[in-house]
Amino acid sequence: MTLAHYMTVSALLFLIGVFGALTRRNIIGVLMSIELMFNAANLNLAAFDRFLHPAGAVGQTLAIFTMTVAAAEIVVGLALLLAIYRNTDTTYVEDFNLLKG
Amino acid sequence: MIEQIVFYSLSALVLLSALAVVLHKNTVHSSLFLGLSLAGVAGLFASLGADFLFAAQIMVYVSGIAVLVMFVVMLLGRASDLHLRQVNEFWMAALLICVIASAGLLRIAGSYAGTAASAAPVPSTAVIGKLFLGDYLLPFELVSLILLAALLGAVFFSHSERAEAAK
Repeated sequence: MTLAHYMTVSALLFLIGVFGALTRRNIIGVLMSIELMFNAANLNLAAFDRFLHPAGAVGQTLAIFTMTVAAAEIVVGLALLLAIYRNTDTTYVEDFNLLKG
Repeated sequence: MIEQIVFYSLSALVLLSALAVVLHKNTVHSSLFLGLSLAGVAGLFASLGADFLFAAQIMVYVSGIAVLVMFVVMLLGRASDLHLRQVNEFWMAALLICVIASAGLLRIAGSYAGTAASAAPVPSTAVIGKLFLGDYLLPFELVSLILLAALLGAVFFSHSERAEAAK
C-alpha cells in the first residue's frame, strides 16, 4: 500500500462530504456530511504521518486536535439546531430565511 | 497480500457507507451509516498503525458523535420526512464541482504513487503523550477551553424559554 492509495480514499471521502453538504436539504444531513469531511482530513494526516514522517507522531497529534474541535462543533451545531427547530418548527435549510431581506 | 485485502475492504466500507449517508432518503438510516463509515475510518487508522487515533476514533466518533446525531435525528424526525425530497435542486452543479475537484485531488494523490512505508509501524501513544505535554502544551490547554465553551454553548442554546416560563 502506498501513500497514494490512502490519499485517494481520503479525497473521495472528502468529496462525498462536500457533495452531501451542498445538496442535503435536511440540516442534520449537512452536519453529518461535515463530519465525513473532518474524517477525510484526519485520515490524510495519519497517512502522511505514517509514510513521510515515520519517526514522529505530529500528524496524529494534529488529528487528535481536529477530532476535539469536530466534537465541539457537532455538539454546538446540534444544540443550535434544537433551538432553531423550537422557533421555526423545521429542519430544512431553505426554510431558515429569517435573516433574508 | 492480507494488507491489500484489509485496505480495500475497509475503503469500500468507508466509501459506500459515506455514499449511503449522503444519498439515503431516510435520515435515521443515514445516521446509522454514518456510524458504520466512521468505524471504517477507525479501521483504516489501525491499518496505518495509529493505535491511539484508532481508540480515540471509536470512543469519540463512533460511540459519541454518531450516537448524538442519531439521538437528534430521532428527536426531530417526522413521518412526513420520508415522502419529501431530501436533495435540493442544485445537485448537478454540486456534482460538477465534485468531479472537477476530484480531478485535481486525484492528480495530487497520484504524485505520491511511489511512496511506500519504509518501516513497520511503531506504537505511537507514548510519543503523542510526550508531544501533548511538550511541544503542543499551549494548543492542548486551549483545546480544553474550546471544550468548555462548547459545553456551556450547548447548555445555553438548548435551554428552552418555555421550560423557564413553566416554573
